[in-house]
Amino acid sequence: MIDHRLVLDYHLPPGWMAPFVEGLAQGQTIARRCEDCARTSFPPLRSCPCGASAGAWVELDGTAQIIHRTDGQDGSFALVLFDGAATHSVVRLDNLAPDQNIGRLAKSTGPLPQIILGPELESSHP
Amino acid sequence: MTSNPKVIVAGAALTPFNRRKDASNFRDWAYHAFDAALTMSALKRADIDALFVASESDFFTMQLNPASILASDLGLVGAAITRCEGGGASGQIAVHAAARAIQSGSAARVAVVGVDPSASQLSGDTVRALYGFSFDAWTDGMTGVSSSALYALSYQAFQARFGGTDAHLAAVTMQNRANARDNPGAHLPRDDTGQDIADSPMIAAPYRRLHCSPLSDGAAALILSNASALPESRKAAPEIAGMGAANDTLHLGARGDPGQFTAKTRAMKRACAEAGISPEQIGLAEVYDAYAGAQLQAISALGLSDDVFRDLDAGTFAPDGRCPVNLSGGLMGQGAPVGATGVGQTATCALLLEGRYHAALQPKHAPQYAVADTHGGICTTSAVTVLKQGGAR
Ligand SMILES: [Zn+2]
Repeated sequence: MIDHRLVLDYHLPPGWMAPFVEGLAQGQTIARRCEDCARTSFPPLRSCPCGASAGAWVELDGTAQIIHRTDGQDGSFALVLFDGAATHSVVRLDNLAPDQNIGRLAKSTGPLPQIILGPELESSHP
Repeated sequence: MTSNPKVIVAGAALTPFNRRKDASNFRDWAYHAFDAALTMSALKRADIDALFVASESDFFTMQLNPASILASDLGLVGAAITRCEGGGASGQIAVHAAARAIQSGSAARVAVVGVDPSASQLSGDTVRALYGFSFDAWTDGMTGVSSSALYALSYQAFQARFGGTDAHLAAVTMQNRANARDNPGAHLPRDDTGQDIADSPMIAAPYRRLHCSPLSDGAAALILSNASALPESRKAAPEIAGMGAANDTLHLGARGDPGQFTAKTRAMKRACAEAGISPEQIGLAEVYDAYAGAQLQAISALGLSDDVFRDLDAGTFAPDGRCPVNLSGGLMGQGAPVGATGVGQTATCALLLEGRYHAALQPKHAPQYAVADTHGGICTTSAVTVLKQGGAR
């Protein structure tokens, strides 16, 4: 057997998604509103399903309703709809009991931009 | 309609799919699959104009440009070589690229080799993280959403609309693994009961460990040829009658219906239009059952049933049913070396149509048409191939 260990340290530029990525670090829900049809996407879509690509960054209030939820060894995740968004989002659930249908975007805790939904009452804004 | 050259599946072979413990590697498996397919085709290495290699990730092979090393290993120096990658769909995309090369007239006899190692030497967390990057690496991947969780959410949306119970997931699981028991090359030949399935650990509800397909080591190969460029003995082998591909919005949440495999429906329509048939004419199918529920979503999206739960209960997809599904065991039973999966599904369909498959799984009367259905992501990248019975049958 050939033992081969690699350690990879990436420093990734966020590109056009920078406002979204920076927002997650602050616990802000930065979405993209299409300039043609006003549909708002979160996570942001660079090209709207209507075909337009011009858009503006808007902040949503961060509350979301859980549509489908899955729990297991991989963790807890959900398909949710953020208030003000036209698209659904897949999120990691943090401290949200199975009977809670509403949550609020939480600050990403590590270096990665993560879409985490925590309890609604706990304000994630500084 | 212009008459494209007929694309014949002259050779088809799969290595066993499993976890190798014999110190062999992906280059060995690719070699053995190719060699067996070439022997079946009655062609020689020097006859091959082009090689298409399907392999999903250099993280697993530790080899960039795998087509170059495989071409050298396989004795195909001088041929045109291409590596095809489309996540889980890589193998079927390579089949399409190869067949289109023959149709275009740029090649007459083409080899397709799909291969991937399971990377079982990496930790489970590393493998999960790497596969997380096959969705949107920048959102789902970095959030740590697993493949199982995304498939589970999609299936929940499908269930919310069409129904279905745990018993249906168990029925698919038991059927695929039972089929795998008659496939000597299968990774997970098992005879679990419904209780065994219900007792296996919950990975991402409703999916338990036994509802999931494994990652396997293995390779599959095809030799495709312009009918006029084959020896008489292989001219009547099955042909590729239609191909279709389509994609869907990558983000599950941005889809109109996250439970529907819309890309598959589009790809199937295109493949059937090219073959001049309708889905009811399909007599057997190898579908992309990454998870038990995904098999039901696939059957529905392909139009093989207008009520998949009713038809599952009625035995329509069982080995003796109207349209047997995943006689090989599918990804859940036979296993899934990613790049080899789509190539292996098409190889399996061709062998079944020609009557050369494992005897216990060979239908008494081989049907006229079969479909091989492969996708990447949560059916983000879909590729579907319709195969037709050969001329002599
Ligand atoms: Zn728009």
